[in-house]
Amino acid sequence: MKALRTILSIAYAGAIYVFIFLPVVVLVLFSFQDGRLPVPPLQGVTLHWYGEIFSDSRLMSALANSVLVAVVSSGISCLLGFLAAYGLARYTLPAARLQRALIIAPMTVSTLIIGLGLLSLFGALGIFRSLWTVGIGHVVINLPLCFAIIYGSMGAHQVNVERAARDLGAGEWQVMLLVTVPMLMPSILAAFFLALTFSWDEFIIAFLLSRFDVTLPVEIWSMLRSGLNPKTNAIGSVVFLVSILLLLVMELLVFRKPRRAS
Amino acid sequence: MISRSLGTSLRRLLLSTAFATWAFSPSPVLAAEELNALVWCDHTDAALIEPFEKANNVKVNLKEYEGTGAGLSIIEQSQPGDWDVLVVDGVDVKRVADMGILGELPADIVPTSDIFPEVVMAENNSKDGKIYAVTEKFGYNTISYNKDKVDPADMEDLSIFWSDKYKGRIALYDYYIPMIGLTGLALDKKTADLTEDDLPAIKEKLFEMKAVARQVSDVVASQTALVGGEVDIILGGGEWVTASLAKERPEFDWTVPKQGAVRWTQSIGVFADSEKKDLAQKFVQYILSPEGQARLATSSCYWGMPANSKAGEHLDEQQKAALRWDEQPEYLKNTQLYPVVDAKMDAAMQDVWTEMLQH
Amino acid sequence: MSTLTHERAERRKAWGFVLPALLWTFAFFVVPFIYMAAVSLWTRQGRETIHSWTLDNYLNFFGKPHLLQALFNSLEVTVIVTVISVILAYPLAWIIAERVPRRFQRLALVLSILPFWTSYVIRSYSWLLVLSDSGPVNQALVWTGVIDTPLALSATRTATVIGFVHFFVMLLTLTIYANLVQLSPNYRRAAADLGAGGLQTFWHIILPLTLPGIMVGAFLTFVLCIGDYITPQILGGNNELLLPQVIMLQLGRTANFPMAAALSLVLMAVVTIAYLLCARWLKIERA
Repeated sequence: MKALRTILSIAYAGAIYVFIFLPVVVLVLFSFQDGRLPVPPLQGVTLHWYGEIFSDSRLMSALANSVLVAVVSSGISCLLGFLAAYGLARYTLPAARLQRALIIAPMTVSTLIIGLGLLSLFGALGIFRSLWTVGIGHVVINLPLCFAIIYGSMGAHQVNVERAARDLGAGEWQVMLLVTVPMLMPSILAAFFLALTFSWDEFIIAFLLSRFDVTLPVEIWSMLRSGLNPKTNAIGSVVFLVSILLLLVMELLVFRKPRRAS
Repeated sequence: MISRSLGTSLRRLLLSTAFATWAFSPSPVLAAEELNALVWCDHTDAALIEPFEKANNVKVNLKEYEGTGAGLSIIEQSQPGDWDVLVVDGVDVKRVADMGILGELPADIVPTSDIFPEVVMAENNSKDGKIYAVTEKFGYNTISYNKDKVDPADMEDLSIFWSDKYKGRIALYDYYIPMIGLTGLALDKKTADLTEDDLPAIKEKLFEMKAVARQVSDVVASQTALVGGEVDIILGGGEWVTASLAKERPEFDWTVPKQGAVRWTQSIGVFADSEKKDLAQKFVQYILSPEGQARLATSSCYWGMPANSKAGEHLDEQQKAALRWDEQPEYLKNTQLYPVVDAKMDAAMQDVWTEMLQH
Repeated sequence: MSTLTHERAERRKAWGFVLPALLWTFAFFVVPFIYMAAVSLWTRQGRETIHSWTLDNYLNFFGKPHLLQALFNSLEVTVIVTVISVILAYPLAWIIAERVPRRFQRLALVLSILPFWTSYVIRSYSWLLVLSDSGPVNQALVWTGVIDTPLALSATRTATVIGFVHFFVMLLTLTIYANLVQLSPNYRRAAADLGAGGLQTFWHIILPLTLPGIMVGAFLTFVLCIGDYITPQILGGNNELLLPQVIMLQLGRTANFPMAAALSLVLMAVVTIAYLLCARWLKIERA
């Protein structure tokens, strides 16, 4: 009976893992296709398409733009999210519930709507579409996330440490920067990296709010509109690899360190 | 301790990210001037743009769009002076010029005598004797097919698209203007004469075509389906869909059926409120030059016939064969331009198309 | 006196911390939203936007069957996707939480969400290749003799659903797992002591306790799924239109911002209704 259950468990998990990995495997496999068509059969193995993408200046600048937008917008989201969480967790403010709800609200709205709203507003105000407007949109979607993660990890035991620091004569900023931030570093980093991956992969806001300088998902979208090509597979594989590296960095930075907060 | 080492790691990470950003950035642009062009995707090929950038020490910023409606909505969202060069559907030049978007071009930059006479389209590209745009490239929305899997003789008649013979093996190209034009041709209506009164009959046929078709899709999804074997026919396709696949899959062919087909043309012009008219005109001249035309014709996004007949000197035999250079006179005779529509007709056509998609 | 000034100073400081986030959300979320609501009451005629207030766009939407159909399609697809994703993800999360040895759990979990980090646009495109007639799924089915001729998978609603489910199974596995590991083993022990069998324990104890986690995941799935443009556009083959596709059509082909805004508000309303329906399980702000 128990053996049967184990076999069933393994079979089920195996089947789901196959389902989850199928498109990735196919994507990576055909990025090595020796031929112009990324469809079966595999005609041979070549790194040609990787060479193509690294010499494609539009694609590479889109990659750089994506990194830039992701880092800056995640940084701002974390900063604003942390400050708001600190203010709301450490002080009693009127209508705190409403304030929390307002900051969280964008999370429950489709990004398409957020993008459209910003697009019409910027259009009416005559603000140019650029990487800046994309970044603003990304902060709107990532701020709630960063706030929720950081706010959720602010507990009573940190208050005690902060009070102790204050009793020892530390000023407000000193307490925040030297006591609170280090204690909350794991969740701040988790929020930062999560925001980073969302921004890095976000399409619709970037599509609606960018002009000449586009982010990688938008450039990939135009590649997809203009002809079947294993280059698309190659850039997809590179994105995957970069994301995995990011994930590893996060794993090492956030989770491998003993968490003194908990 | 731990927090300090975390801080160090974070700083290192940020530094390396900053480095990566810097390293991946395109080489610093020292260009003195920038030119903003709103174009179709074939103009984004570096092989086409870079020679001009180098020769004139400028940076050409390109924004691509599909369909005049999308282009106009981008222009509407912009400020006067934002844009310098516009590539637009040949049949829409007049409409765009009427809206005051395009400025007049000096006659001497247009190599009229070299342009294939059928695509000069003076009545489209000029108004009151003033030239507003020049045809740069053309091709056909017709039938692409896999000749190993379908009977080529069947492809000579548009009525095959609502018979059951190839049910589930057809992709319809997802752009309403040429497709409604083609459907009109199948019903013996000239594209130039289409009115709102013709739409009910066309709608009925479109519904029948949708029932037989596997999908209604853009270029890549259609190509993927053709290559993957889901569909064997693309209605609305042509050399611009299959030429780039021809080398690997010689079984992909295209033809113009007996009812004729629709001819697409794209024109290039300069914005009326451009602040860099001289440079913009220089760019137009480059695109219309034989070299520019040859590069545009074989652009990585899609291929198409160059408007300038002299471009042939810069194309090799294989490229000319893929473009069917020598068969053009016959195709030009059997094809009609896109329907020219006003805003009301345009909206009605979009409604019909959306209804068809949802049918 | 001095405590009062102190309190006031404290409060001012607190506002200083919270205000940047509030202002950002207000300026770039609330204001655009109100502006969009206003725009939705204008109309677009030809190439002109008419700036007078009317409900025409909404009447148009509810009066034209092919537009209204998009809403129903979206709802159907979203509900199907949400249900299938929960059903597929729950056992996996359960197996990871209960059957996988503790020290491998993180690895198993990370593996189950790894493809989340491929580009989302490319993931849909990759499914297009996977589901094609000559793709691995059909090849495998034909090779094993399950079917003779390839199934028409690509360019169908099935393809759209598969593309969506793929993404949301990963998301839900994560949220449900997080919920399962928080359960104290005491509950199960207590249930067993009272003579409950495995299935009974699951049905009466585990499932109700993990319901909040499921609902949070399901609501997230609903919001993300119903507002997504890419997946149906790439995988659906335009055999039907979902609401976001119709919204993008308004923008791309006619620059009809008022209509796009009206459709967005309809979408927003649907999400709000969904939120209210499962509000008692959702405590997102405290998540």
